[in-house]
Amino acid sequence: MGFEISLLTAMMISIIGSLSLNLITGFCGQVSLGHVAFVGIGAYTASLMTKAAIPFFAALVAGMILAGIFGIIVGLASLRVRHDFLAITTMGVNFVFLGFVRQQEWLGGELGVSSIPDPGLGKLGFLALVFGCVVLVVLLSVQIRRSWMGYVFKAISEDEDTASMLGLDVSQYKLIAFALGTSLAGLAGGLYAHHVRFIYPDSFAFVESITLLAMVVVGGNGSIWGVILASAFLSLLPQWFQFVDDYKLLLYGSLLFAVMRFSPGGLAGFAQLLINHNRKSSKSKVDK
Amino acid sequence: MSLLEIRDISVRFGGVHALEQVSLNLNPGEILGLIGPNGAGKTTMLRVITGVVKANHGEVKLEGELLNNLPIHVRVRKGMGFAQQIMRPFREMTLVENVALAAGFKHTQYPWLSLFRFERNEALRESRKWLAKVGIEDVADSFPEAVPLGYLKRLEVARALAIRPRMLLLDEPLAGLNQAEASAFADILFELNHQGQTILLIEHNLAEVRRICTRLVVLDNGQKIAEGYPEKVLMQSSVQEAYIGKGNLNAKN
Amino acid sequence: MLYLELFIQGLLQGSIYALIAVGLTIVYGLLRILHVAHAGLYTLGGYFGVLVFNITGSLVLGGLVAMLGVGIFGIIIYRLCYQPILDQPPYVPLIASIGLFIAMEELYRILFGSYGVTYSNPPLQDMMPVGGIYLRQGEWVTILASIVLIGGLAWLSRKTRLGLAWRATVTDAEMAESFGIDPIRVRYLNFFIGSILAGAAGMIVGILNNLVEPTMGSVPSYKALAIIVLGGLGSVRGTLVAALSLGVIESFGTIYLGEVLNRDAIAFVFLILVLMVRPKGMFRGM
Repeated sequence: MGFEISLLTAMMISIIGSLSLNLITGFCGQVSLGHVAFVGIGAYTASLMTKAAIPFFAALVAGMILAGIFGIIVGLASLRVRHDFLAITTMGVNFVFLGFVRQQEWLGGELGVSSIPDPGLGKLGFLALVFGCVVLVVLLSVQIRRSWMGYVFKAISEDEDTASMLGLDVSQYKLIAFALGTSLAGLAGGLYAHHVRFIYPDSFAFVESITLLAMVVVGGNGSIWGVILASAFLSLLPQWFQFVDDYKLLLYGSLLFAVMRFSPGGLAGFAQLLINHNRKSSKSKVDK
Repeated sequence: MSLLEIRDISVRFGGVHALEQVSLNLNPGEILGLIGPNGAGKTTMLRVITGVVKANHGEVKLEGELLNNLPIHVRVRKGMGFAQQIMRPFREMTLVENVALAAGFKHTQYPWLSLFRFERNEALRESRKWLAKVGIEDVADSFPEAVPLGYLKRLEVARALAIRPRMLLLDEPLAGLNQAEASAFADILFELNHQGQTILLIEHNLAEVRRICTRLVVLDNGQKIAEGYPEKVLMQSSVQEAYIGKGNLNAKN
Repeated sequence: MLYLELFIQGLLQGSIYALIAVGLTIVYGLLRILHVAHAGLYTLGGYFGVLVFNITGSLVLGGLVAMLGVGIFGIIIYRLCYQPILDQPPYVPLIASIGLFIAMEELYRILFGSYGVTYSNPPLQDMMPVGGIYLRQGEWVTILASIVLIGGLAWLSRKTRLGLAWRATVTDAEMAESFGIDPIRVRYLNFFIGSILAGAAGMIVGILNNLVEPTMGSVPSYKALAIIVLGGLGSVRGTLVAALSLGVIESFGTIYLGEVLNRDAIAFVFLILVLMVRPKGMFRGM
């Protein structure tokens, strides 16, 4: 039973991580290749704080805030660069984060931070907390999408120059997407650190950013339920089939490639394609 | 007092003078046509007005307020409705949604607060009115890919109208349309102006410009060469030379 | 003397970066694809070189197979992976390429083992003084190969009809097509040449380190992206300057910044700083 709980907890933490990236990349169209750096900032902040006997929830919030602050800084950078340049810049953020953490003794260097205190909620209690966070993040995502903010995000992701011609403050909106997305990544990091109770630089390697991005694009860039489904699938798959674990990266790589190659809209895009197809064919019948 | 006042604008790209000491005023209630041959500096002027291009010298004022350093979205919110020459509709939104995004400008003014605003029906209803105004309400629920070019041109204008601008700035709205379409669209612009909408029109189609504009400003080689009533301005030899070319005119004489 | 040594080590590293990054930048220049899987081809070059050498004992044959074989794989990747998604938004080919690269690395691991392959009889390891500078033969070969290959590329693009067709297509594909240039063939050529450079770089690094491992492309892949962005995306000259400067900056930076940042992060700090000042790279339009 303990194993399943732990598995479920890990899965939900990755859902928080991917939904947080979805706010930036999916909703607002700003491709980030370094999202796990913010998960890392949250994880290091929260775990160092609880090790210094600061209460768990305060540490969690502090991790979110710090990740959000760095997120706004990166967001400010994103205002200067676009498209490919932005993707490479955010990738750079991931490498700079890693390169920095590895050399810092006070962050544990290569060895990382171990014996992170147990938040004292019990395994089920912690799962409940993580689940609660998932629900909140989903609610926030739905709220954004239904609101005018989501409407503007959609416009920015398609054509930001035209959006500003309609009087929309594109920079502000982008910064909001970065602030929200990265602070939620910080939340995922704090939860992750107190779930595994041991973190080291490689926990936040570039390939983990790609994994988060894989969850977003396989689910369908911008689709909330698609992303949840893809995250659950991609994080559980290697666990259920132990033999896959050795080929986990091969699977990620091929899947990422195959989805982009054959259905660039992801699962959600694929579903949309089917719906559109029906809509068009029924429309053409009406026309006749 | 004029609505938009442009004073002594100079723009240099490298060593080339794209605009040199150009001044013009847009008065409330008029349709001002900004014309000139290719490369005269019309589009550069529009970009100075939107803020995409920074002038090396000169001022852009809206009712006396200096706009020079304001970003474009602020200029739009102060009442400048822009329609681009190359149509760029949001392709994943229907036409009416395209317009509603602009019509909901009150909801989107403060980005953080926009998270708590949901009501879209009013903006959508209003947007149908704007689409009707430019004569394309019948395709309100279509996606841009499904409608012809002429409709997208009108969509640009509807979007610009939706922010309830004090002036409409149109960049070659008639380009790419056939004569019948252009004429029909010009009628719509004329009617909008008749209802009180101030319009600055950058246009190549001289026949329509002559028909609907109340006043013209002519640019050539980055300089203002004429200004005044359309009939008079188009008769001026300097304007005809600019369009036809000096050599040709002399040859005919 | 330490400075000179650091400088030469930097140039050496920089010329390897240049070989990888120039291929990447000509792909970007023509197709606007950030071709991360390019580094997978570089690794493949390493494998081809070491495997052929270990079987036949011929370095020349190893080099030919590494370059031409990888060149052909480059064309295949373009045809099967990129051509169908060229009209998608830019993040689509980028992510597809990252996926492809990860899959390639894993395939190498499964096929050739995770510990890597070494040369059975390591070639070009002897020290050789030239003009008072002591470097290994392999290191001299590296410098020579970069000059010859990149110089050859410059000659090809400036002095031949093929190069003319190529440059015309980069500038304006439609116009070039109207002059009877087949754009598809230009793209194939583009991938072929870019991949040859990557294959050569892979083989060289395999010899220098006497080790070819599945992950040897990881760091160069992302660093090469940083370099081509610094170089202004699509500018060969900018890429060369960026690659060589980065090599030198890294070799000094490791000495003076090693306490704060590791070697791989220096490239990206440099990148981010440059992009903040010049959002489109150092050499836009050269």
